Amino acid sequence: MNPVLSIFLRKELRDLRGNPQVLPGYLILPLMAVVIPTIMLAFMPFDPTAAAAVDPDIVALFRLASRDPSLAVFPERERMFRLLVREFVSFFLLMPVILASMSAGLAIAAEKQQRTLEPILATPLSDRDLLLAKLLASLVPAVVVTWGAVLLSVIATAIVTDVRLGAAFWPTPAVLVTILILAPLAGAAAALLGIRVSVKAADIQAAVQASGLWVIPAGILLIAVVGRPAARSLPIAFGAVVLVGAIVWWLFRINLRKFEREEILTRWV
Amino acid sequence: MVSARGLTREFGARTAVEDVTFDLEPGQLCALLGPNGAGKTTTVRMLLGLIGPSRGTATVAGVEVPNDQARLAALRGRVGLLTETPGFYDRLSALENLTLFGRLYGMEGATLAARIAEYLDRLGLAGRGDDLVATYSKGMKQRLALIRAIFHHPDVIFFDEPTSGLDPESARDVRALIRSLKQAGRTIIVCTHNLAEASELADVIAVIKRKLLAFGPPAALAHDGTGPRLRVVVAGDGAGAVRLLRGAGLVVESAADRAASPATGPSGDAAAVATSSGTGPSGAAALDVTVADLADTPAVVATLVNGGVPVLEVRPIRASLEEIYLKAVGADG
Repeated sequence: MNPVLSIFLRKELRDLRGNPQVLPGYLILPLMAVVIPTIMLAFMPFDPTAAAAVDPDIVALFRLASRDPSLAVFPERERMFRLLVREFVSFFLLMPVILASMSAGLAIAAEKQQRTLEPILATPLSDRDLLLAKLLASLVPAVVVTWGAVLLSVIATAIVTDVRLGAAFWPTPAVLVTILILAPLAGAAAALLGIRVSVKAADIQAAVQASGLWVIPAGILLIAVVGRPAARSLPIAFGAVVLVGAIVWWLFRINLRKFEREEILTRWV
Repeated sequence: MVSARGLTREFGARTAVEDVTFDLEPGQLCALLGPNGAGKTTTVRMLLGLIGPSRGTATVAGVEVPNDQARLAALRGRVGLLTETPGFYDRLSALENLTLFGRLYGMEGATLAARIAEYLDRLGLAGRGDDLVATYSKGMKQRLALIRAIFHHPDVIFFDEPTSGLDPESARDVRALIRSLKQAGRTIIVCTHNLAEASELADVIAVIKRKLLAFGPPAALAHDGTGPRLRVVVAGDGAGAVRLLRGAGLVVESAADRAASPATGPSGDAAAVATSSGTGPSGAAALDVTVADLADTPAVVATLVNGGVPVLEVRPIRASLEEIYLKAVGADG
């Protein structure tokens, strides 16, 4: 890795350890993404009649599972479980988007606030390296945490489904492509949007709020339109990777073109 | 080493810096003085290539500004910057902060470690390198920022209020460090409001208030652009002395007249002499004599003595930096 990028990455990781604005998200989101689906799979009733006794709304989910043509090949009692597992993939698509955008929202704004930006900009560091460093520093921890959560979730799902259904569920190739490639790319897109917001923001509060306002809804939209279909079909998953990859490349170019040291230095009070 | 030609910077309709031109040689220290908002930081940022000039050019450490990013990156590797507020990553230690910046300046491994250890020791921070910067006092952060500005051995260094927040002893040490950098041939620009510090350190004074109002060695600025002046105190009413000196082609004013004329910018010293002498009770007159060179002093004395005028005192008039500054800034309105 480029030494400059590795320096920044290490700096951001050390900085992250004690950052009260970002750290809770890195702990709570993965926990939710692993624990909630596992509990649901562990206690999900096997049929609609039993489900109606627990929560009538779950019956609607059973109906959805029984009508989904892609699940028709599976035994009746597995369909609801497979539907849940498939839908939980969205958790892992959303996680890097939220985590990366949170870190990226602070990327430049925090440098401005702690007055480190001008000394950084006064070094030989190029705009491209600075942007790339900020992108990776926002993205890598988010992806590492997401993949860790995915690993735990896959193991937990396999154990629970094996115990309850006698058949361990493992991720399909489409799900693997979606989680391992598409999710980091979606996170990169969110990070680049967050960095752009951070560059323009007048202070940290504005950066965090604007990131939440623009980046997270954009991420959810991306997942709804691209992520969920991708998790069901390998060709769609690869198509989505190409599409989101192109968006990431375009956002990086835009960020680089719009990264004006002068504007950043003179806008900050 | 630093050369500015017509540097101008506009922000919309507001002109922050206008037509600034000056030259600094290697080993020269320039004190950049001016009121808040006068354009000092904007000038420094233009010289660093951090912001582009609206008009004009500059050459810093052999690199012309503005220029392409690659050349500007090379320039930034050869300059050091101490910003007004020392910004550091509070959750990292001083060593980690300096290591980060050292690597950004292209230093690595043993060289970087040795450089950091050397400067932590010189700035009195040895033994505190592993502490988080968040635990540092303002003065310690300022010293750490000084290290960051110089530890890559830049050719040109920009200091913004280098002794701000330091106790007198630390401030003295920092001034000694700056002097040693100057002696090592570094070109230094110090933005400061501390006139005593500027007076002590500077080879060249630049007074800026949007435009460059004054630029030159302190001694030259003290002469109003007319040449050095002598304060000559003679016995009697001074009329004979004035006649003799004007006969020799010299410009002579009574100290009392200069004191009464703000436009000519008297020194506080001159006013004091004028009130205590003039044709007053002591029977002495104080005269300000403009000469081409201070080396002409013996000739002035000889003219008076040969003409039979008793000379009681002769000394060069040196305006204080405060007078130079206030005069320059005041003249600009």
